[in-house]
Amino acid sequence: MIDMPAGGLGHFLGKLPFASRGDLGLDRRKVTQCALSRICGVCGESLSRPVAFLGSTEEAGRNAFHFPPTHLACAELAVATWGSDHGVLGQGHPPASWALVTTSGFEYVRPEAEWVDRRAVFEPNSVIEERALTP
Amino acid sequence: MAIADVKEYAHLTEEEVAELGRELDQIRVEIEESRGDADAAYINRLITVQRTLAAAGRVTLFASRWKPAFFAGAGLLAVAKILENMEIGHNVMHGQWDWMNDPEIHSSNWEWDTAQPAEQWKHSHNYIHHQFTNVLGYDNDIGYGILRMAREQKWHPANLGQPVYNALLATLFQWGVALHDLDIEAIRKREKDPKVMKKQLRQIWRKVRRQVGKDYVFFPALTGPAFVQTAAANALANLTRNLWSYMIIFCGHFPDGALHFTEEEIEDETRSEWYLRQVLGAANFTGGPLLHIMSGNLGYQIEHHLFPDLPSNRYGQISERVRPLCEKYGIPYTTGPLHRQYGQALRTILKLSLPNRFTTSDRRDGPHSPEIPRGRRADDERPVRRTETGGWTSRATA
Repeated sequence: MIDMPAGGLGHFLGKLPFASRGDLGLDRRKVTQCALSRICGVCGESLSRPVAFLGSTEEAGRNAFHFPPTHLACAELAVATWGSDHGVLGQGHPPASWALVTTSGFEYVRPEAEWVDRRAVFEPNSVIEERALTP
Repeated sequence: MAIADVKEYAHLTEEEVAELGRELDQIRVEIEESRGDADAAYINRLITVQRTLAAAGRVTLFASRWKPAFFAGAGLLAVAKILENMEIGHNVMHGQWDWMNDPEIHSSNWEWDTAQPAEQWKHSHNYIHHQFTNVLGYDNDIGYGILRMAREQKWHPANLGQPVYNALLATLFQWGVALHDLDIEAIRKREKDPKVMKKQLRQIWRKVRRQVGKDYVFFPALTGPAFVQTAAANALANLTRNLWSYMIIFCGHFPDGALHFTEEEIEDETRSEWYLRQVLGAANFTGGPLLHIMSGNLGYQIEHHLFPDLPSNRYGQISERVRPLCEKYGIPYTTGPLHRQYGQALRTILKLSLPNRFTTSDRRDGPHSPEIPRGRRADDERPVRRTETGGWTSRATA
């Protein structure tokens, strides 16, 4: 696949996604690193175009995702691998249906003091496609 | 000590800091909503101009055995390389133009005309430098691991050679940048993950081979009997780009007004506090539109650090709103002519080649902190996060 990371997908099977750990399954430092270094939240390698965002349908509705950008192939594999697990992909409880949004660009929005959920969010700014994925 | 205790902010209440953050957010939203065809036309036009200059330079060098053509070709190529590195490559890799949905002008696949691989730049610059801006022990841009740029950095007799190291860094800037993400200090201390180091060295080797092959083998060979002159002209173009980009980058954080910080906590820094740290840690320089384009709009370093992924052609417009905001809230906005800003950075380099007892601070003073160990700290070396917000302390440097 055109967006397949250089090292392939096999090397992280059975492990946690690169940006996972910490509260609600996300490692804040790695989330920031993914956002600024433009690397995939699943495999940790450089992103390619289009960029994919994975989240609940509510997140897609708000256009504000917690899990960092990923390769399209990594997003599909992540749902298949961890889509039913608790707390791995930035969700407290796994959603019944995942939303997958592809975009060319995104805004990285740092948390503000008054936010109840003090996690950064990603706002896709040039959406190409949105579809549902089931684990 | 929280950011609210920093002398420059001490007069601001928490509500005022939050309000300042909201006003900066509003600027951001307005730019995001108004970016469109005119911005896209700007970057496309600039890329066309840059490629035309590069092609004209390469063609001119076919006559490089004739001195005027040698200098004209080298000059055209130098301008093309400066534009590519400063206003195009650096900003594209920040994702400033990703919103255009252009398959070529995108942060994920732009590879720039310099020795450092784009992937490593996006780590060392986009993440390390922009996230830990001017934080001693984290931001390796403070002296590039070679120069002592803050009074808190422990003096070593080797620092006496700073004037020489500085001249070498300026001359060989692209090679210094190429090695930047390797974190030489970590390698010296044997703390670098060998796997990561091997991967990075492979990337650097591939990129260096490509750059050297292009500038010193392929294009000179095309010019046949002018091989030597063309290679020399290419070296002159690279040298010019090195000196220019070094000077512009050193004006961004080392003039007297820009503060350094020491980390107490980072995880809970709010957006407004992050904005504040960016304003205090960066310095602008003044000049006309051509100077700003040739410097990648880094004359608006404060605006670039506030909004690193907004299109660079808007920084001038943004600065017209940020500066009054700083005045409204009584926050320093460091700016001045290029020669003065670089002069201050150079003075810092010279002064800090000596132990602190021989010199006095020229910068806005802050409380003195213990000396900071050399080198960049890894993610897992950061302190455990605290629940309260605000943990940045400003430190005087030179």
